[in-house]
Amino acid sequence: MELLNDLLSPIVIGILLGGLYVVLALGLSLVFGVLKIINVAHGTLVIFGSYFAFTALTRFGIDPILGLVIGVPVFFLLGILMEKYLLNRAVKKSADAALIITFGIALIIENGAQIIWTPMSRSLLTGYSFESFQIGDLYIPLVYMLDFIAALVVMVILHQFLTRTYLGQAITAASQDRKTSELMGINPNRVFQIAFGIAMALAMVAGVFFGLTFPFNPTTGENLLIIAFGVIILGGLGSMVGTFVGGMIFGLSQTLGGYFFGPTGQLLVPFLMVLVVLTIRPQGLFGR
Amino acid sequence: MSQELLLTVNNIDVHYGSLQVLWDVSIEVNSGEIVAIAGANGAGKSTLLKTISGVMHPSRGSIEFSGTNITDMHAYDIVGLGISQVPEGRQLFPDMSVEQNLVIGSYNRTARDKKEENLARVYELFPVLEERKKQLAKTLSGGEQQMVAIGRGLMANPRLMIIDEMSLGLSPLIVSDLFRVLHEIRERGITILLVEQNVWQSLHEANRAYVIEAGHIVLSGNALELMEEDEIRDAYFGA
Repeated sequence: MELLNDLLSPIVIGILLGGLYVVLALGLSLVFGVLKIINVAHGTLVIFGSYFAFTALTRFGIDPILGLVIGVPVFFLLGILMEKYLLNRAVKKSADAALIITFGIALIIENGAQIIWTPMSRSLLTGYSFESFQIGDLYIPLVYMLDFIAALVVMVILHQFLTRTYLGQAITAASQDRKTSELMGINPNRVFQIAFGIAMALAMVAGVFFGLTFPFNPTTGENLLIIAFGVIILGGLGSMVGTFVGGMIFGLSQTLGGYFFGPTGQLLVPFLMVLVVLTIRPQGLFGR
Repeated sequence: MSQELLLTVNNIDVHYGSLQVLWDVSIEVNSGEIVAIAGANGAGKSTLLKTISGVMHPSRGSIEFSGTNITDMHAYDIVGLGISQVPEGRQLFPDMSVEQNLVIGSYNRTARDKKEENLARVYELFPVLEERKKQLAKTLSGGEQQMVAIGRGLMANPRLMIIDEMSLGLSPLIVSDLFRVLHEIRERGITILLVEQNVWQSLHEANRAYVIEAGHIVLSGNALELMEEDEIRDAYFGA
């Protein structure tokens, strides 16, 4: 009973934190599903989103979450331009070419961030950064709760868009069979651009909630990429439910790993889980 | 039915890279017809269809549809003009439901307004699809998948429907059922261009036919008359 009580906190925090990882992974998963490329810049683009919110907050006093009203469309457009002018031709040539380009994007943004924002660690500090609320004996930091709510909101919107609109269905169809989707009148270039734009918008959202939760510096994105990979491998590519469950497992194994094995267990256990899943079910828990 | 010239393929050559697969191919399709392209496996039938629907482009010659030159247009732009293709092997979107597969067929701008109307028509032609509309396409039987593929082609609100190897891998009973539906579709004013390895069947169902051999059109004309040709009987019916 005692143990159960002690475990309650890491379990709840793990689940809430899992929400953050879900948002982190969705953009990576979408780009892989539609463009069939591994966007190794995804983590760095998330941190770019954090810095974008950081500047809006420190320069203009814009709340990071409210600032998404600007940040999301800006990043969406940025994504469309990046796909159109940097990735499009490479995507058609080979997956390798596109991979190298995204690697280049990551390097440029990472080093650009070092120059603009310095290598110092930053956080998105707001009036509610240190607030928490109490349920029973449990204190839950507000930002963790926001992470989870953000995940739910993003998933519902994305799911509605992908299943209920022509454009969303076009993206889904193109991800399942690009050649046939063209016979339906779907222009693949347009679908690629929109999908990358959405992935960038998701990176912006992830960047804000990550920045509210943890400190970040220009190289943090590399770790985020690896976490996002872990989540996708756990859940299976192309399945939104899978990504959600993957995020939950990742968050839980992180907090429980920390509880049982101390700070070193925090990332060790989630990646052990990834290894276990890769061994017994390589397509991921919900993969096809 | 008025016999307006709907599709004209003028002397096209088509290559896969440096390999030529079609030589000087010309065909015509009038509105309201069922026209068959018959020929053995590898003769170039599918290539001809892919070139018409814009998946491939000819290195010489031209293609006109209802007065518009579509020779170099993209596949995704041609659909909106009124040509839909039911590809070989059905090629459904496996993880989308039956209804989602049908609705994505109406993606082109001209078809969207008629989505509800066309969907009702597809369900009327294939009642079983309405029963299974929530099911994922990959869980259907081969015959049902072919129904979805044809239905999806109809959702594009086409004037010309191109059907590639419809009967491949299906039982004769299902095939004759599908042909019955094709005749219904034709009666509603949609022109049909079909390709079949089964030469006898396609000649039997079509008004006119072109016989293609090794990338050349070798015979053409009224389908019933072609069936009487000795050349055809020797080559394809073994009689």
